[in-house]
Amino acid sequence: MTSILEWLQLVLAPQSINGLSIGVAVVLMALGLTIIFGLLDVINMAHGECYALGAYMVVLILGMGLSFWWALVLTPLIMGLFGYVMERGLIQRVFHSKDRHTLTLLLTFGMATVLEDAIKIVFGANPQRVEAPVTGGTELLGLFFPNYRLFVMLVGGAIIVAVWLLVFRTSLGAVVRAAAYDKDMSASLGIPVSRVYALTFAFGVALAGIAGVLLAPIYSVFPTMGRDFVLIAFSVVIIGGMGSIKGAVLAGLLLTQVQSLSSLFISPVWNDTLLFGIMVVVLMWRPQGLFGKLGHA
Amino acid sequence: MKVNKLAAMLAMAGMGTVALAQSGPIRIGVVTPLTGTYAGIGEQVKWGLNLAAKEINAGGGVMGRQIELIYEDEEANPSVAVQKAEKLFQTSKVDFLTGTVNSGSTLAVGQVAERNNKLIATTVSFADSITGDKCSPNVFRVNARAGMQSAALAAWVASTKPGAQVFYLGPDYEMGRSTVAAFKAAAEGKGAKSVGELFAPLDNKDYSPFFGQIRSSKPSVIYTSVAGNDTVRLFTQMAEFGVNRNVLIVGASGTVTGQNLAAIGKAAEGFVTGVGYSTLIDSPENKKFVAAFKAENKVDPDLYGTDSYSVLFFYKAAVEKAKSTDTDKVRTAMRDLKWNTPQGVKTMRGGDHQAMQDMYAVKITNGKFDIVGRVAAADAIGPDACTKF
Repeated sequence: MTSILEWLQLVLAPQSINGLSIGVAVVLMALGLTIIFGLLDVINMAHGECYALGAYMVVLILGMGLSFWWALVLTPLIMGLFGYVMERGLIQRVFHSKDRHTLTLLLTFGMATVLEDAIKIVFGANPQRVEAPVTGGTELLGLFFPNYRLFVMLVGGAIIVAVWLLVFRTSLGAVVRAAAYDKDMSASLGIPVSRVYALTFAFGVALAGIAGVLLAPIYSVFPTMGRDFVLIAFSVVIIGGMGSIKGAVLAGLLLTQVQSLSSLFISPVWNDTLLFGIMVVVLMWRPQGLFGKLGHA
Repeated sequence: MKVNKLAAMLAMAGMGTVALAQSGPIRIGVVTPLTGTYAGIGEQVKWGLNLAAKEINAGGGVMGRQIELIYEDEEANPSVAVQKAEKLFQTSKVDFLTGTVNSGSTLAVGQVAERNNKLIATTVSFADSITGDKCSPNVFRVNARAGMQSAALAAWVASTKPGAQVFYLGPDYEMGRSTVAAFKAAAEGKGAKSVGELFAPLDNKDYSPFFGQIRSSKPSVIYTSVAGNDTVRLFTQMAEFGVNRNVLIVGASGTVTGQNLAAIGKAAEGFVTGVGYSTLIDSPENKKFVAAFKAENKVDPDLYGTDSYSVLFFYKAAVEKAKSTDTDKVRTAMRDLKWNTPQGVKTMRGGDHQAMQDMYAVKITNGKFDIVGRVAAADAIGPDACTKF
């Protein structure tokens, strides 16, 4: 009996809490992706590289002698501006064409390749280190837990709640949801739809940037860091329902728990197989994902 | 007399045309990861090769022919490596190919080389199988394999921590599995006890989900063979969670290298590995090489850069011995060939195409690879397990 308790305490509990901290990070990534899709109907293939760019902003800002906290405040602003320019300068141009889906997919995919190479040219291929601003650990019920992970969970959780409130409890959010539901009607009611699009895109990119900042000290910073990370975010968005905020949060937390607990019983190399297996089953059962699209729920 | 002179002139003219026909550059294909998790390793490979090509070309080339290197990015992905190798053999008509990093890529490209009747050499891949049960008559290895590294490391661990409780953590592919198996066998042979093992996917983002399992098996030594960016994450996260407290961390030679050492920072201190190279090897050849490498690239060479540097001299020595770039003649020349490297004279064992060399146990002290032990080539090489040729 004690051995079971010990296993619960020393193996299962930390595994689950660690999974939660990864989950918060994945949800941050998936949120930006799903909001952009929900409103603009655009799949941002460059989302992973926006995340990487956010992480490199920390390297840059720390290199300028400013603190991590500055990076946390400045990066979303810079990345938001970057997203705004990207939407206005590139996506807007192909947005109204008939093959919008194909064109935006190709465009953002191209952006991803260009960004990754640009990062490599500017910063080099080798990984970079970012010191965590919060060090040490906390003992919880006989478990050791790094303070920085707790910090990521708190800040990440706060951002998720804030995004939720912004979209569903403010008039700004109502405008965004209205534009997502019926852009022609919204436009005729005087909503500047194209600016709403650009700002929402910017917001999604800024969220990827924040994820990059928060995770830089844990995952280290290197040019291809976004490539594998965005895959899990994509699966989360698909399972949760393309464009659903609630879906992204629930699917993100659920999937990372499944991954982290399953690695106790089966070889972790099956993680991705398991993830995509769940995705296939969900798609067969509910092709639209667990929840409905933004503005439709 | 006059006739003789004319004959001599004719003969010289004849030789001239022969020499001309062979005076085009010798093309050497390099399939190496220039992007992806092993991009930093690919960088060292490139630097080593470029330096060697520059020195050889400045010294008159190979049998009077210049060396031309043709690079292709394999993204540390065997399926990409196969396409790129095929392209280099078929389209660029390279005479020789090197550069593969991922052991899976080396094995796959070896098969491409067999089909094209060309030779390749790896300067990085550790997996024992490459010169063991999956050996190929077309594949040579100039770097030390996992078994040789393990022999050096196991001898050091046994003398420092007799009867250690060892936990193994490797990346889940050919190299990871074979390094763990090799070290496990070597360590158990020296009296260590194995308390658990775990294989994480390549490019794993977060190792913390495994820490509960590691902690509950209470190891005194953790052996790991993750490499590249994976090491940065593993070591940073181990320090973050305090998993490394009172535990000796040892690992494969590719785990911590010049390429990721700076990014790991303090968390790398005290790490010990068995390796075929250290910049601190005290010989005039090595000092000259390190100085030249540093002058060219602003950073120290690591084992990959060094072995990639020496592979061109290996090829040069073989071609000059064979007096030809013909595959069969060069292969015969390569077998049992002795050639000079920054690590001293290496011998290419004819039976399995594995280079023999002295091995070292090195410990990271103040950001440098300090030599703490040495095992002679003959004791480290292990039996010839290749039965194909």
